Amino acid sequence: MEKKGAEEGAEMSYEPKIAAFCCTYCAYSAADLAGSMRLQYPPTVRMVKLLCTGKVEPIHLLKAFEAGADAVFVAG
Amino acid sequence: MIVGQRKPFDEIKSYVDGCQRILVLGCGTCVAVCMAGGEKEVQILASQLRIAFKEEGKDVQVDEETILRQCDREYFDTLKDRVDKYDVVISMACGAGVQLAAELFPHRVVVPALNTTFIGIAEKEGVWSEKCRACSNCLLAETGGICPITICPKGLVNGPCGGTNHGKCEVDKNKDCAWTLIYRRLEGQGRLEKIREIHPPKNYKVQTTPATIWHAAYREEEA
Repeated sequence: MEKKGAEEGAEMSYEPKIAAFCCTYCAYSAADLAGSMRLQYPPTVRMVKLLCTGKVEPIHLLKAFEAGADAVFVAG
Repeated sequence: MIVGQRKPFDEIKSYVDGCQRILVLGCGTCVAVCMAGGEKEVQILASQLRIAFKEEGKDVQVDEETILRQCDREYFDTLKDRVDKYDVVISMACGAGVQLAAELFPHRVVVPALNTTFIGIAEKEGVWSEKCRACSNCLLAETGGICPITICPKGLVNGPCGGTNHGKCEVDKNKDCAWTLIYRRLEGQGRLEKIREIHPPKNYKVQTTPATIWHAAYREEEA
């Protein structure tokens, strides 16, 4: 049980850097609303506002990984 | 146009493992149209390589460049002074482009990133199909503009064979029988008598390998 507890502790200390590509009209507005509602999300989520996520190309996601992101998500 | 497909990443990476400076060189014509070796694909491959080397803890320089065509010498002029900086050039052109790059930079290793597949057309976005086998002896005037050398797995110049099956091919039932397509095309044009003409065996003698062509206006240079 102790071991399991230690593992859980290790998991908790891992803070992945996440790049979020968000559409200005929906996902970014939702994040804005979340802010207005005082909902919190980890500071390791870095948001990139786009006029439209239809513009996202594979290279944008790869560049985020190259820059050190552990995960990338596109919301739009 | 020439249609190609990118090789698996691991195969491409195996060509350049151990190199310190890599140039990924795209071609802006056919392989750019078939989304295999143009500027966007150069960016993606270069980025994948940088990520892979970084994960291995290796400090490798991966640069990107795309020229308009790798099958014409003049487009390489801008690269001449720069190529010596690199250990290896990954050419994302068709086989012709890779070979010209290798010929122009004989002191540098040039490796291919694509498998060149065929001469074809775009059926719709993201789908291409083979239309020509470059046989140097075009029959399309006789066959209603449908090539039996390419479309028929047997390359029959007189067809259909006994394996035609309700418009499909006995070799692959998912594929159309070339000679049924030809029949229907000629029928639609009111030229069905053309299918009764017996074509002599194909003259493979004209299909020399490797072929060279001189334009009539340049024949004097040949002499």
